[in-house]
This record gives sequence, structure tokens and C-alpha cells, in this order.
Amino acid sequence: MSTKVNGVEPVEVSDPKLLFGTKPVKPSKDLIKSVVDPRIKASSKRAKSEGKSITDRLFFYLFHLILLTIYGFYSIFRSLQYVNNRIRIKFLNLAYNPSKTPQIIRDDVNKLSKLPKRLSAVLNLKPEEEEGGGFYGLLNDASELTTWTLASGISTLSIYEYEGTLKNNVEDLRAAIFKKLRDYFGPTSIPKFVVKIPHLNVQFYGLNHDDDDNYKNDVIDIEVSLLSVEDGKATIVELTKTLAELAKKKEISSKNITVDLIDGELTELVGIEPDLIILFTPTLALQGYPPWHIRLSEFYWEADNEDVTYAIFLRALQKYSTCKINVGK
Amino acid sequence: MMDWINVLPKAGYLQEQLKNVLAKILTTGPVPKHIGFVMDGNRRFARKHKIELKEGHNAGFESMAKILEICYECGVESCTVFAFSIENFKRNKFEVDWLMELAKLRFSQMVEQGEICEQFGIKIKVLGDKSLLPIEVLKVLNQAEEITKNNNRAILNVCFPYTARNEITNSIKTIISKKTEVELIDEQLIENNLYTKNQAPLDLLIRTSGVTRLSDFLLWQVVDKNVEIELVDTLWPDLTPLHIIWILIKFSFKKNYSRQRNNYDEDVGSKKVL
Repeated sequence: MSTKVNGVEPVEVSDPKLLFGTKPVKPSKDLIKSVVDPRIKASSKRAKSEGKSITDRLFFYLFHLILLTIYGFYSIFRSLQYVNNRIRIKFLNLAYNPSKTPQIIRDDVNKLSKLPKRLSAVLNLKPEEEEGGGFYGLLNDASELTTWTLASGISTLSIYEYEGTLKNNVEDLRAAIFKKLRDYFGPTSIPKFVVKIPHLNVQFYGLNHDDDDNYKNDVIDIEVSLLSVEDGKATIVELTKTLAELAKKKEISSKNITVDLIDGELTELVGIEPDLIILFTPTLALQGYPPWHIRLSEFYWEADNEDVTYAIFLRALQKYSTCKINVGK
Repeated sequence: MMDWINVLPKAGYLQEQLKNVLAKILTTGPVPKHIGFVMDGNRRFARKHKIELKEGHNAGFESMAKILEICYECGVESCTVFAFSIENFKRNKFEVDWLMELAKLRFSQMVEQGEICEQFGIKIKVLGDKSLLPIEVLKVLNQAEEITKNNNRAILNVCFPYTARNEITNSIKTIISKKTEVELIDEQLIENNLYTKNQAPLDLLIRTSGVTRLSDFLLWQVVDKNVEIELVDTLWPDLTPLHIIWILIKFSFKKNYSRQRNNYDEDVGSKKVL
């Protein structure tokens, strides 16, 4: 390595720190040579890969910068979209108002060509400090929804709330529904209702008719079942455990396990699949909704909407009436 | 509407370059690891353009190849496409037979030419109740799986014939036939026995042609709270890579935003503890 280049003895540095300070850069001989004589190319592999990774990193930062710029533009677009959506929802809410009269709801619904048999709604427990939020906000939303559903002629409603707040406060919910029904239908003709908690397999009739056989045997106008995250995947796990135990006792074999069997059991445990699910949430997020029960259900949600309002409810029914479901076709 | 762009010189080349650069830009941010596609609208496309049903399905397949390409380029690891539902056997016999023939043809093409598979190192997996398929179709599918089994950069799951309820039932069945201890059964175990086992969890589900239901596709996976669902109005054959890039930008922005918020929440939370 002592060949002279351009009459200069190439410098041999044993400790790279002398040249490059304390930073752990290890220049190869070729690299130094190439510094001394630009005609000699640095050909060490490491030098090459280092160079490549630096350009790579530069490109990464450049591209990431562009991505951040795109985010910037997107967020402007998104804010405009948000404002637009909110204004639209405001107008819709002004345009449709049931004014606590079942007749108005009936008139709106009578125009539709078909109605869902079973309706489901996804509600959120909103923070206490928000308008219409907190536990009482949720109670109000749930009872109002029950009344609209009943007035539009649908007799089965399931309400999904992730944490199961309503399930834990059934007595409050019963009272709230009772009050709402009285407000809408008048004190003399309050419709009969039952609140169900499929997970616990319990039913609550009317405001306080749990032991009233006359009430129970009469035609019930609306059935409200309360669902939460435990009715979802967790219930399928429970079912699997039960089946595994039966299999252990040789009462069932894995051959007997079919889609129909599971469907039957889950219908028993959670309920029948709804035809329409209205999500009163700003985005289409299923939040652990029972997965088995969303096979052919139509979803309806209004972007950027957080409130439970009649306009959204009616628009969902309107949209549903135009949908065509053809299994597999 | 934008057709005139294609008339300009070098338009195709420029579009290609733009796509590549956009893909590179997107890979520097959060990208979905697993995307599910319901490819709806082939028949409506055929009706709209007054072409034969077959042509509609062909257009759909071409669109799929383009869209998968852009996905893998952006760094997506798994794509799951709903090719054929168990319920589709209810369609008229002509169409079913023809779809089977098409599948056979496409799979053998994919394997023989192997361009997209080789370029991206794609492993093909067929998900579903394969026992329902005709024997010769099954043979081609198995061959496709066999030939691509050593590719490990990306996965293409072809659901053929598939329904999510069948998938869940199959998982339960597997667990029970293995005689698993009852205490060991949990959500994770059911998940580990689904057809999509050992793959990145689903992040994004795209359904085209304005349908607002899932039609028995990836039901177990989709209720997860991190999954974004995109329902677009475009018919599947009309869907272009630019649509996908737009969806990915949306996804990226959303994830980036929620990640920042989570970090902030954690900060606030830890301060409270102090």
C-alpha cells in the first residue's frame, strides 16, 4: 500500500479518531485514498452501504415531509368537510321533528315501501360535560329511540352500548321509557313494552308489571333488548366452552357442529340478526358488536354526527327501504 | 371525465411514476398491514356498459390486479379478496360454472406467468370450505398454493368459497375436535383457528359499489375497534389505484392523528399518577 500517488505518500492512519474526532466513524483505507486522490474511487463495501443508507434516509425524510404536507392539506379538506356535514345535520334536524306526536312519525314512515322487522342501534355513553351527554343523556336517547321505533310500527329493537351501562340500570331505563311513551301516546293509552337482557336471560315487563300475568300475556307492543360487548365475541367463546364440555361427555361430536347449530344457539343467547343497524356515532365503527349478527344487516350512520335525533332515525329507514338484499346473487 | 389525460404523450408513463412516488411517500407513515376487499359491481358494470357478464368479470379481475399491485407497493402485507361466497352457489348454473372456469384460468395464469407473484413475492392462500369445489378447480388452486408457498413478502388470501359464519364455525369445530381443555378456550384461540391465522390483523375493509352491509365477509375480524371500514360508491371495475391511494391517505391521517392523541392521553395520564 505504499505506492506513491501523484508523488505523495498515502497517509496511513491507525486510529481513525485522530482524523474524525471521537465519533465512531471508521474510514477505510480506500476512503482515505480517495480523499487524497479523487481518481481512486472509494470502493469499500461499507462505504457504499453507508452512503446508500444516508441517501435512503434523506429520501425517507423527504418523502415523510411530503406526507406531512399531504396531512396538512388533508386536514384542511377534512375541517371543511366536517363543517359541511355538521351544517347539513343541523338542517336535517330542523326539517324533521316528531314534536312528540306518533302521528307525524307514522305519516313519515307510511311513505316507505318496506320497513325493517328488527332494528338495532349503537349508542355511545358521552362525557358528562357534553350537551345531552352522561348517563341521563343516554337514558333519554334510548327511551326516545324506543318510542320512535314503536311509532313507526317496528316491534323489535336492540340497543348496543359498549359498556352495558343500560343493562346495569334497567330500573332507570324502564322509568324513562314509561315516561317517554306517556308523553307521546298520552296517559290513557300507554303501549306495553318489555325490556330484555339476553345475556342474563331476564325480562322486565312495563314499568312494574313483572308479576302481572295479564300484562305479560297481552300483546306486547315493543320489545327492547340490551346488548353490550359481552354479547359479542365473549358469547361465542362461552358457547365454544359449552360445546367442548358436551363433547367431553360424548354428548356431541365435532361432526355435529354446523353453521345452523351455532346460529340457533347464538340466536337463543343474543337474539335474531337485525335487518338494520343505525350507528349514532361519527364513523362506521362496530366497537365489538356481536360479529355473528351482522351478516346481512344494513348499516346506517351519518358522518360526523354524534347525536341521537329523529332525522337520522328516519333517514336510516328511508335508506333501508331502497336497499335490495339478494343473498349470494 | 378524466379520459383526456390518457391522450397526452407519455401519460401512462407519468401516471406510473406518480403512483410509485405516492406509494413511497405513503410507506413513510402508518400503512394498513391487512386489507380486505369485497369486489362488488362487476355485474352492474357489465349492465352499465352494455357488455356481456363475462366481460364484466374480466374487467373486475384486471382491476383487482392493478389494485393489489398498488397495495403491495405501499407495504401492505396481506390482502384478502372475497372472490366467491358459499351463497354464490345459489346463482344460476351457467354463471357458477363459468365463474369456476374463470377461476381455474386465472389461477393457472397467475402461476404460469407469475409476474405479480414473483415481483412482490406473493404467497397465495385459498380460504374457505374447499370441499365444496369441483375437483379440477381444487387441483389448480392447490397447485397455485404449492408453487407460491415459499414466497414470503406478502400474502394474497383468496376467499373461495367463503363465508365468515362458516369460518367461525370451522374454528369452533377445530378447537373441539382437538379436544382442547375447556379452560384454555378464549377469543385468541378462536382467532388462531380462523382461516386468517398467523397473519397481521385486519386494519381496513373496502367494499365497492355503495353497498352498506358486509355480506358475511370477515365478520369476526371486522368488529375489532382498530378496523376502518371504507364503503365507496364506485363500481369495482371502475376503481383505480388513485382511489386506493386516497383511501390510504385517509387511513394514514387518521391513524397518525389517533396515535398522537393516544400519546397525549398517556402523558396526561402519567402526570395524574405523579
